[in-house]
Amino acid sequence: MNPTALEQFLAKIYVDSMARKRFLAAPQAEAARAGLSKEQCEALEAIDRVGLEMAAHSFARKRTRKQSAAASSSSHWWRVCGSLIPLRVLVAFARNRRSAKDTL
Amino acid sequence: MHNRVGIGWRPELAAGILSNLDRIDVLEVIAEDFFDRSARLRALKTLAAQVPIVIHGVSLGLASTAPADRKRLEKMARLVERVQPESWSEHLAFVRAGDIDIGHLAAPPRTSGTVDSAAANLAAAEAVVGSLPLMENIATLVNPPASDRDEPRWLCETLAASNVGLLLDLHNLYANSVNFGLDPKDFLALLPSERIHAVHISGGKWIHNGDLSQQRILDDHLHDPPDPVYDLLTDLAARCPNPLTVVLERDGAYPSIDHLLAQLDRARQALEFGRATQPDMSAPLRPLPLMETPGVGSPSRMRGVT
Repeated sequence: MNPTALEQFLAKIYVDSMARKRFLAAPQAEAARAGLSKEQCEALEAIDRVGLEMAAHSFARKRTRKQSAAASSSSHWWRVCGSLIPLRVLVAFARNRRSAKDTL
Repeated sequence: MHNRVGIGWRPELAAGILSNLDRIDVLEVIAEDFFDRSARLRALKTLAAQVPIVIHGVSLGLASTAPADRKRLEKMARLVERVQPESWSEHLAFVRAGDIDIGHLAAPPRTSGTVDSAAANLAAAEAVVGSLPLMENIATLVNPPASDRDEPRWLCETLAASNVGLLLDLHNLYANSVNFGLDPKDFLALLPSERIHAVHISGGKWIHNGDLSQQRILDDHLHDPPDPVYDLLTDLAARCPNPLTVVLERDGAYPSIDHLLAQLDRARQALEFGRATQPDMSAPLRPLPLMETPGVGSPSRMRGVT
């Protein structure tokens, strides 16, 4: 019995909808294909199917929330940068005017 | 006995929290929000000077059968060293396997193997961070396959094998009990109360897959703690010998700060009510009859009852 392989298999069917679909169509065969033991394959045959789908959807929502939180954090950073851009434009404009006056 | 009630720090709640620190005993911060973020860390140190802080990790996956990630442990160690929190905590969960990141806390199969691997990971965490975390029970929508024992037994064995304290999430206990046919009060009664030092309370909602007979409670932290959670808090306070630190978790759909402070007050009342029914913990121990040999630290001996 390889507990790490079982954990990897669970992670796969929690996050990968196609792998989950293949597993639910043929649980023992898919588990055996992943190298799990006979006992593990039998345990997976009896998996709580309703809970599996609910958990998979919940995990997917969490991953989406994490990604949007990261994007929002990075967009916050870009807002900070964005507020600096007009200042830089003004400074550049002022410099250009000064150098234009100097030229005249 | 000094119990405390606080709230999880979230940027959205910052203004409300900072203007009501007189009503908040402790703040819990999410560790990963401060990893490799020096500006935030400076702000956290300023905050820690004003209010007791506890640190809560969500990404270490210490109940995995794979060894704990050394780099993540080192980040936790640096954070703990810099902030000097009262305690730190993590979850009895795995969060990734191989190159797959699940994105949240997953319940490991409940076997002697995962009891041992959690103990090994916690020993590694203690070695790197310098202290053991309190470990939290997680909510799960799927009964972990290939388990050969129930959740209360697995929790008891894991806590004993790892010699760690329990951060008892009462909504997780409640949701798992309802979802998998246990009585929440029986579940609570099976846990080693002497190991419980901290508590989370939160809320969730009913979900279903189109079949209303297959409803389950999702622990989403977007709702108020339901009444049974406060009842469980009272029960816990009645039987736990330790001072308890209770933290309200809220991760979105934020109500007003007054609404959240009212929930903290309700938690205080639940604690006080439970403590009031507890036998006098300060009563002197009476000598035991010679033939009686209770287990070390058994509640009956600690409370001076023979």
